[in-house]
Amino acid sequence: MARALARHWGALVVFGAAALVPIVVRDAYFLDSLVLILLWGALSAAWNVAGGYAGQVSIGHASFFGIGAYSAALLGARWQQSPWLGMLVGIALSLAAGAAIGYLSNRLKGPYFALSTIAFSQVLLIVASRWRAFTSGSEGIPVPFRPGFATLGLGHVAWVYLALAVAVLYWGIQVWLEHSRFGYRLAGVREDEDAAQALGIPARRLKVIAVTASAALTSVCGTLWAQYVGFVDPFYVFSVDLSVRFALNTIIGGMGTALGPFLGSILITSLETYLRATLSGVKSGFTGIYLIVYGVVLILVVRFVPDGLAGVAGRLRARRARAHA
Amino acid sequence: MDPARRLGRAQIDVFAQLGVSTILLGGIYALIAVGLTLIFGIMRVVNFAHGEFLMLGMYLGFWAFTLLSMDPWFVLFVSIPLFFGIGVLTYVLVMKGVIHASHNVQIFTTVGLSTALQNTALVLWSGDFHTVRPWHALRPIRMLGTAFNLSQVVAFVIALTLTVLLFAFMRFTHTGRVMRATAQDRDAAILMGIDTDRVYRITFALGIAAVGAAGVLVSPLYAVYPTAGLQFVLLSYVVVVLGGLGDMVGALIGSLIVAAVEVAGSYWFGTAWKEIFYFLLFIGVLVFRPAGLFGQRGAENLGV
Repeated sequence: MARALARHWGALVVFGAAALVPIVVRDAYFLDSLVLILLWGALSAAWNVAGGYAGQVSIGHASFFGIGAYSAALLGARWQQSPWLGMLVGIALSLAAGAAIGYLSNRLKGPYFALSTIAFSQVLLIVASRWRAFTSGSEGIPVPFRPGFATLGLGHVAWVYLALAVAVLYWGIQVWLEHSRFGYRLAGVREDEDAAQALGIPARRLKVIAVTASAALTSVCGTLWAQYVGFVDPFYVFSVDLSVRFALNTIIGGMGTALGPFLGSILITSLETYLRATLSGVKSGFTGIYLIVYGVVLILVVRFVPDGLAGVAGRLRARRARAHA
Repeated sequence: MDPARRLGRAQIDVFAQLGVSTILLGGIYALIAVGLTLIFGIMRVVNFAHGEFLMLGMYLGFWAFTLLSMDPWFVLFVSIPLFFGIGVLTYVLVMKGVIHASHNVQIFTTVGLSTALQNTALVLWSGDFHTVRPWHALRPIRMLGTAFNLSQVVAFVIALTLTVLLFAFMRFTHTGRVMRATAQDRDAAILMGIDTDRVYRITFALGIAAVGAAGVLVSPLYAVYPTAGLQFVLLSYVVVVLGGLGDMVGALIGSLIVAAVEVAGSYWFGTAWKEIFYFLLFIGVLVFRPAGLFGQRGAENLGV
């Protein structure tokens, strides 16, 4: 127990602080940022399962986010169904889509896999924005707000704890990936697929499972996000920018580490909130300036700290351990 | 009066029109894609920011026309050296440091570059759609039962000329040979005393100069806005993967195939759905023939 605490003290600090904040702070703006930090963190953790642990770097994960968002929004707006049902439908669709992509693009590596995932998200964007009769087309869908847990019409504090529960669950899944037989075998495939296969590890099957699971986890957060924000816009939920965001958080925090996606989300989401507050007076629009910073940060991070914050922390710890020895 | 009848007798032969459209469009796509495939073939980097350089070329065409009333055809004389310079600068500042890094690092470096450039354009010039209407965009050309505007035809001719010049450069000059040698075997090239850093610098700059020229050429044909590059770059990925990443002749043939799919798709299913066909084609090719339609099996693992 003490060992586990010592190993996961970072997660304890992050999630503990998130759990305590709503008790102390009642400011809606602050709580809103917190919900978004946790949701973006969980989404990045979902991306990390495929990108970080299995080495299948996707720039099309917005596909599954959009599937989750649309499933719940359409069922809610058209047939007055509960978003929880929409979440299940989203999971089912994402499992199918993730398995299909994972299986079909199995042989693809590096840039080819990234390209095929972009293409998939673009196909979904075209369908969602042009199939007006079913999806309302490019106008998007407003998600009706109906108070109550069954309809996910919650207050800010409840949203914090719901997002926190999802975040902790996803963190736990990643920790399991670091310590389980499945996770070790996946790491073997990521580091050297040929060697792993030679040892009898079913590399392809493991990669498909990782991409499929990652898709379903992403979809769950897509549903939650749509219910939280209350509007689904096809050009946002299927955008390449959004897919890059999941990856960026994870890369900044540290790919293939359990806490990395959350550290990255804290940094990037706070930066966004800060810039939005500072630059709101600038006429040419805050989004542009924010995204320029974001692009430059991405270039600098992959160049100079490719293993992210968690990687840097790990190296510092190793150095200190050596100094003590 | 019915506007179609005002044109007189039915002078447009549908199939001839579709055929010529395909060729005109294919020529322009080729110039966009050839830069992408050149950069991939030699540097083994997929440039996810390729579309943004096209967008910058379109803005150059737009501003030169709006502020200086300069015809896009003449802007080319400025744009080619200018974008060559931008290419060298981008290589030195951004690409040089990641050329030997892992694929993930390279992918996200160019993705970051793409985001930064796109939004720089948004901040500087806003998200409004702009159009360039020089006299030749309104001048119809009729031939063999088909009709086109002069901008399209000349853009095609110039694009084709530039592509052919690039081919000739690669085939017949010493620098071109050195570049091809580096593409074939990076280590052997270094052992032969080739300065690979210089090769990469020239490669990247040539690729950017080509796509910048394409941007200027298409500025009278398409709306100019900060994310205008996205549709073209997605399409040129399709072209390049169809032809085999790194294969320049393949890129030419791929351009024609994509143009044909687009032209036929918009004619029979409407322009709203045309993109879906080449994305489906793209996914099909990536899945079943990732080395391209004419590539050898396993070629996709080169440098992967």
